[in-house]
Amino acid sequence: MNTMTLYVEKDSPVHRLDPLVKLLYVVASIALTYILPEPLFIAGVLFVTLLLLVIGKVFRNSLPILTLSMFLIFSLVIVQGFFHPDNVTELFSIGPLVFYEEGLYVALVLVLRVLVMIGSFSVLILTTSPDEMVERLIKKGMSPRIGHVILSVLQLIPQMRATTSKITDAQRSRGMETEGSMLTRIKAFFPLMGPVVLNSLNETKERSIALEMRGFGSSTKKTFLNEEKQYPYNKLLAGIIIGIVILGIVWRVMA
Amino acid sequence: MNNNKKSMWSLKLSTAAIVLIPAAIGINYIGKLFASLLRLPLWLDSIGTVLAAMLAGPVIGAAAGVINNLIYGITVSPVSTIYAITSGAIGITVGVMAYKGWIANVKKATIVGLVTGLVAAIISTPLNMIFWGGQTGNIWGDAFYTFLISNDVPQWLASFGDSIVVDVPDKVVTVLISYFIFKGLPKSLTNIYRQDSEIEEL
Repeated sequence: MNTMTLYVEKDSPVHRLDPLVKLLYVVASIALTYILPEPLFIAGVLFVTLLLLVIGKVFRNSLPILTLSMFLIFSLVIVQGFFHPDNVTELFSIGPLVFYEEGLYVALVLVLRVLVMIGSFSVLILTTSPDEMVERLIKKGMSPRIGHVILSVLQLIPQMRATTSKITDAQRSRGMETEGSMLTRIKAFFPLMGPVVLNSLNETKERSIALEMRGFGSSTKKTFLNEEKQYPYNKLLAGIIIGIVILGIVWRVMA
Repeated sequence: MNNNKKSMWSLKLSTAAIVLIPAAIGINYIGKLFASLLRLPLWLDSIGTVLAAMLAGPVIGAAAGVINNLIYGITVSPVSTIYAITSGAIGITVGVMAYKGWIANVKKATIVGLVTGLVAAIISTPLNMIFWGGQTGNIWGDAFYTFLISNDVPQWLASFGDSIVVDVPDKVVTVLISYFIFKGLPKSLTNIYRQDSEIEEL
């Protein structure tokens, strides 16, 4: 079924890891960049993250995610480099604007951190199918209702996206203008949005009746459709990740 | 209104209210899509959250906001995950104000929009400070930030200004659009989500 997800189906050691371990890695790697805010160290974390992407055979798939944040990265370098309050040492200047070393250093830490964040998230979302992740979380005690909400969003959005082009065409054929001045374009927003909202709210009515009929509201213990997967080295990997974080904290306190 | 209402914070959610959450997230997404299709200078990506809060109260509004950003994080852009807190706060603010009767007319709805934008900015500022040294990655907001910083305004205040410039206009317009849509909805539809309805359960 067409769902909205970035998951890339491949067979690799990273794909076979427990989703919860990958989730732990995301949290740990971001936390580490704050525990030890040294560019060299963050670059190390980034290297490990990129290595995981390569092992997971999804490095190329992570690049589009990165381009989305390109503006933020550029903006960080430019604004911090030129205007950071601690700026003293001049690096170079363009006309009256001076680019400073301290600002560049601050920007370097920030940019590396953003890269680690995007990278480790990519490891998680590119190599884990949402179904597997939600099922794992429910088994660990998350409410099945929230699980249902998350999975149904991933199906609902492609459906809604399909109806939007229908609605746009229908309203255009009735003479709605989608080009022109700002006012025309603002006016066009309502005839486009109205049907989408009404449609989806009407659907929730039907959906909730259908769910109630199947015992969604019942409080008995739910069973699972899929057999539980076995994850080898699960505890070991989680232990290593937590160990490294603790080591980082100790290092920070000692130094 | 009657006196034996359930509290707006009741966590006993009806199936209709839970099913409203995915719909709200879908509406958020479509709102953003149409806004960029029409080249409007705002995001308009929280119409669903605001509508859900108006229809079903602060708990569902907050849930819709938080889950919206988590799902955005795992599907489109990881960076948006950290703003789950902001989205949740937007849902709570609108939900509480709607419950207290602040969406009676356009004027009041505008105030709801202003308050929501302010709350969003207040919550986003520390997040922006922690994660990006105070910037937002929005071109207008960052231009304003740069202007304030170069005039020796403290960094956190400049960051707050950055957020205000971005959030307040967007949220005012979002709340107003949601208000007009909400007023246009038939009663038979709006009634099924309310937590205080008097439908007896079997």
